[in-house]
Amino acid sequence: MKMTAETRSNLARIALMLGVYLIFASRIPSYYSTAGVAALLDGAVLAGIIAIGVGLTMIAGEMDLSVGSMAAFAGILSIKFYAFGMLPAFLLVILVCAVIGAIQGYCIYRLNISSMVFTIGTLIALRGLTLVISQEKTALIPFEDIAQTDILSTKFFIFSIPSVILLLLVLLVDFLSRRTLWGREVFAIGGGRSEARAAGVSMKRPIVLIFSLSAALAGLAGALLSIKSGSASPLGFEAVVLEAVTACLIGGIALSGGRGSIPGILIGLFTIRFLVSGIAALGAPFWMQSLATGALLIFVIIGEAVIRHVVRRRKFALSAQPAA
Amino acid sequence: MTTKTPTAERSIRIPRPVYSLAAILAIVAVAGFTTPSFATLDNLFVVIRAASLTGIVAIGMSYITISGNLFALSASSLGALVAVLFALITAQFGFAAGVVLTLLLAGVSGAAQGVAISLIGNPIITTLAFGTVFRGLAALFSGNSILRIESDLALWIGTARPLGIPTQSWAFVVAALLSWFVIRHLKLGREIVLCGANPQAAIASGLRVGVVTSVACIALSTGVAIMAMLTVSQFSQAKADLFMGYDFDYIAAVLVGGIALRGGRGSPLQAALGAILIALLQNFMLLNGFSAGLRMTIVGFLVVVSISLFHVLQGKSR
Repeated sequence: MKMTAETRSNLARIALMLGVYLIFASRIPSYYSTAGVAALLDGAVLAGIIAIGVGLTMIAGEMDLSVGSMAAFAGILSIKFYAFGMLPAFLLVILVCAVIGAIQGYCIYRLNISSMVFTIGTLIALRGLTLVISQEKTALIPFEDIAQTDILSTKFFIFSIPSVILLLLVLLVDFLSRRTLWGREVFAIGGGRSEARAAGVSMKRPIVLIFSLSAALAGLAGALLSIKSGSASPLGFEAVVLEAVTACLIGGIALSGGRGSIPGILIGLFTIRFLVSGIAALGAPFWMQSLATGALLIFVIIGEAVIRHVVRRRKFALSAQPAA
Repeated sequence: MTTKTPTAERSIRIPRPVYSLAAILAIVAVAGFTTPSFATLDNLFVVIRAASLTGIVAIGMSYITISGNLFALSASSLGALVAVLFALITAQFGFAAGVVLTLLLAGVSGAAQGVAISLIGNPIITTLAFGTVFRGLAALFSGNSILRIESDLALWIGTARPLGIPTQSWAFVVAALLSWFVIRHLKLGREIVLCGANPQAAIASGLRVGVVTSVACIALSTGVAIMAMLTVSQFSQAKADLFMGYDFDYIAAVLVGGIALRGGRGSPLQAALGAILIALLQNFMLLNGFSAGLRMTIVGFLVVVSISLFHVLQGKSR
């Protein structure tokens, strides 16, 4: 039985994840205790939820870089809306972010502009807006209400509500992306933009959808983390986009679009979480964590580029043989 | 794909620098009338210095944009790393060795990024990753503390005003003219423009696209190194969180200068104009007591609007 290239690369990714886990598990006992695993899961929530959205935009051959500012914006907003109750605050924040994302997606579709460039503009503008609405102060939940937020930190075996939300979202978005027409359109416009257009795929629906979804997910992640901790800083979540993109790339989503899967993102996410929290647990200073994330990202994208190059060369050689 | 008559297109085209010049004049006029502290000699020097430092990096960034690689997100982090290295080397081996070695190291980091970009093909993600590594290395080398340098020569370079003009501005003017000359009149410059205009055609006709990308990255690194050394010299200290968030100013300068994001069009002088525009705007907002958030919001919207405006002006295609 011959394995397809995709299965092989997925197995390699899982092996990488397990390898990283084993390296740190041999030094850090908490890596295989219930509390330790629960903490690992909780640490993955923020980057994980955001990575689902970013991953979808990457599959469509676009990229949403504004998610960090969107999460900070949502964090401040969720604390402001907390007066209406916890659940309404979540729903309102997700709605506001989804609308902003949809407007952003529509602009990108309408102007036919590079989404990476456009979202860098909105990244700056949203961060500024967040600073304005927070008056450049950390927003806090009133002290008498803080006990209500404990429900988000409660652990059930190794799960907490945020980590269950992450896992459910992975299953849900994976189902939507593989089994629905809208999801297939996202893959189609990422794999071959002009072919998809020629086959009659509308550009508007998938592009508006993915940017709306990635903004809504970033909003959910920002709100979850902020309400859980009872406070939100307007300057927070700056580095999360790097972690999300790294998770997507390690998880097998192609930079050029059209390839990848949502469960793959989860593999990438845990690879990077095992590494980063392992480094933190070994007592390295905070900048080592971002250094490690950056180095890992460079390593992965250069590795993929080299592999792609070699594969293409081999294909050329194979296709040239019968002709010669 | 449609064939247009070139004359019809030319008759309605307004040169892009006109937009930025008009915007600069508008800001100066508005600021001059509404803000009394704007049109003073002291403030003029503040603006010129700020514009020069932003401008030197923006000129370097324009090479990347013109060569068709959008822009780099690693400029501010590289600035911090270079500042730390410069301070360390100067403290150990003296000012001259500091300048030479720093420029060399900046060039190496630029070349590394260039090679990586041409391998990977996505400049923004690549430089995002490199930026994180640079910032981490800066913290590592500096031990996350403030480094001081004691060098009279450095202090002179940082604060002197030969012929009444700050050294930073001399460097800015020289960099702008030199870059303009390279892009317009050297073979290398023409290759950069052509690679940006049509990468496939450039590869097919045997241009060295990888080399061109690396050269563009080295140009940016050199600009960043000059900016960082001037800043360290001016304040006689360096730390790892220098220039945090400045990337947006550099990008904004290139964008409002009207350099085509698709590459292949524009000149470093436009980035220089854009940098002056951004510096004037920032100064005007500061003098009027705008909060940091409001300033960021305005710059962000300016970026979004100018990307969209120039994109529509140049016709709809990526």
